[in-house]
Amino acid sequence: MLELSDIRAGYADVQILNGVDLALRPATITTVIGPNGAGKSTLFKAIFGLIRVRSGRVRFGTEDITNEKPARLLARGIAYVPQGRNVVPRLSVRHNLELGAVTLADQSRVGERIEAVMDRFPALRQHQARKAGDLSGGQQKQLEIARALLLEPKLLLIDEPSIGLSPNLVRDVFKVLQGLRDAGVTVLMVEQNAKAALAISDDGLVLELGRARMHAPATQLLADPAVGRLFLGAAIEG
Amino acid sequence: MAQFLQVLLSGLATGSIYALAAVGFSLVWQAAQAVNFAQGEFVMLPAFLVLIGEHWLHWPLWAALLFGFALSILLLGLAFKRLIVQPFGPDGGLPLVIATMALSILLKEAVKTFYGAEAEPFPSLIPNGDFHIGGAVISVRDVLNLAAALAVVMLLTLFLDRTKTGRQMQAAAQNPGVAEILGIDVARMTLYAFLLNAALAAVASFLITPVYLAKFSNGESLGLVAFIAAIIGGFNRIRGALVGGLLIGVLDNLTATYVTLSYRAALPLVLLIAVILWRPQGLLGDAEARIV
Repeated sequence: MLELSDIRAGYADVQILNGVDLALRPATITTVIGPNGAGKSTLFKAIFGLIRVRSGRVRFGTEDITNEKPARLLARGIAYVPQGRNVVPRLSVRHNLELGAVTLADQSRVGERIEAVMDRFPALRQHQARKAGDLSGGQQKQLEIARALLLEPKLLLIDEPSIGLSPNLVRDVFKVLQGLRDAGVTVLMVEQNAKAALAISDDGLVLELGRARMHAPATQLLADPAVGRLFLGAAIEG
Repeated sequence: MAQFLQVLLSGLATGSIYALAAVGFSLVWQAAQAVNFAQGEFVMLPAFLVLIGEHWLHWPLWAALLFGFALSILLLGLAFKRLIVQPFGPDGGLPLVIATMALSILLKEAVKTFYGAEAEPFPSLIPNGDFHIGGAVISVRDVLNLAAALAVVMLLTLFLDRTKTGRQMQAAAQNPGVAEILGIDVARMTLYAFLLNAALAAVASFLITPVYLAKFSNGESLGLVAFIAAIIGGFNRIRGALVGGLLIGVLDNLTATYVTLSYRAALPLVLLIAVILWRPQGLLGDAEARIV
């Protein structure tokens, strides 16, 4: 599926990723955990061509996609939902969705794709004529995820989907991700709510100081006392 | 009443020219965060490009107009973006502002040196004549200028709202980071904004120059008024720039007729101060949150 070997990347003089290796199994959810500054978001940006990979290789299937531009990656079936608010505020919900399909070769199919994602997120159908900036935070996040799904991606990169969402909405978002996995989509997620995220994940990746420290089944990470103490907040209870 | 109608309409006609320049101004601002202090000269120059086609190349008027329009888009759109704005990077800041001021001086002086300091007559596309409506004498030119300018701005907003390319331009302007992850060609959308600005400036030039004659200094007050109109209306709003331009045109004419001629030039500045004090986001704008 997605395979990273010895990825190094960063900003200007600061190198954040110091040789990350990772191979995702197809149709799984993998959650990346690690302390602040470990390079979790940077990893996503490097995969998605938003910052330059200085050395190392990114492979998708059998193809080398290192440093390809987002438009090309979208066409290959990779979609990215960054953290924070990522809608075009003064365009309508429907037009925001439509923008998710600008790289789609067959533009005649955009309408039916939009209908399909709105079936999954009924709130978006209800508010389709409203400006995206007027939606609640949770609805905006749903819009972003829906927009990313418009191209029917094979790999979804999703960064901190739960920030600012109520517990109910977080559950909904996680349910959507599980549904995607069951439909054959591979999901790579960064999530501050690490315990809950691992609970719905197949695999977990511990990222520390820009390196993959541990890559194991999620159940194993959840059971590991050292991981619990360091990254899952178990120390607070003790 | 008749006089009021006359004054109002000719104010709207002048204001519509301000509006064209202001709309272009705000387009470029939204697309590239570039404040173009050469905007007035962008309206002055196209007329001279047409005169070059007519007088130096001896082309018929329609060919000279096409030539002037095309060259304006090339010079004031493409070359302006590539050679002036782009080298300063994505956040040009103050150095870019100073560069556009330098450009304004360069364009002015270049026209003065190569074409002359005298005002040149410019062919009118619109027949002279007046409408007489209930005692008011309204020039055909004013009405048609206003109609043309409004039509252009309306077409522009239709393009931005109703076409896929227009909405991609909005996305690139409102949230370039998001536009990029959706695979929108942000650099191309920014270029379109510059080309549209050049086209608006050329249209404004062709409409206004028959009234004021072609002169190297034509852009001096126009650029400032366009800037103020864009701020008054709301810097991040196309319709705001339209309203700002029309408002200045009308108030300017009303003050000159009914109050005093002497403070005419100060009026836009007074308006600007009032708006900054009481509604800093502009009449139609909404407050813009900026992350520093």
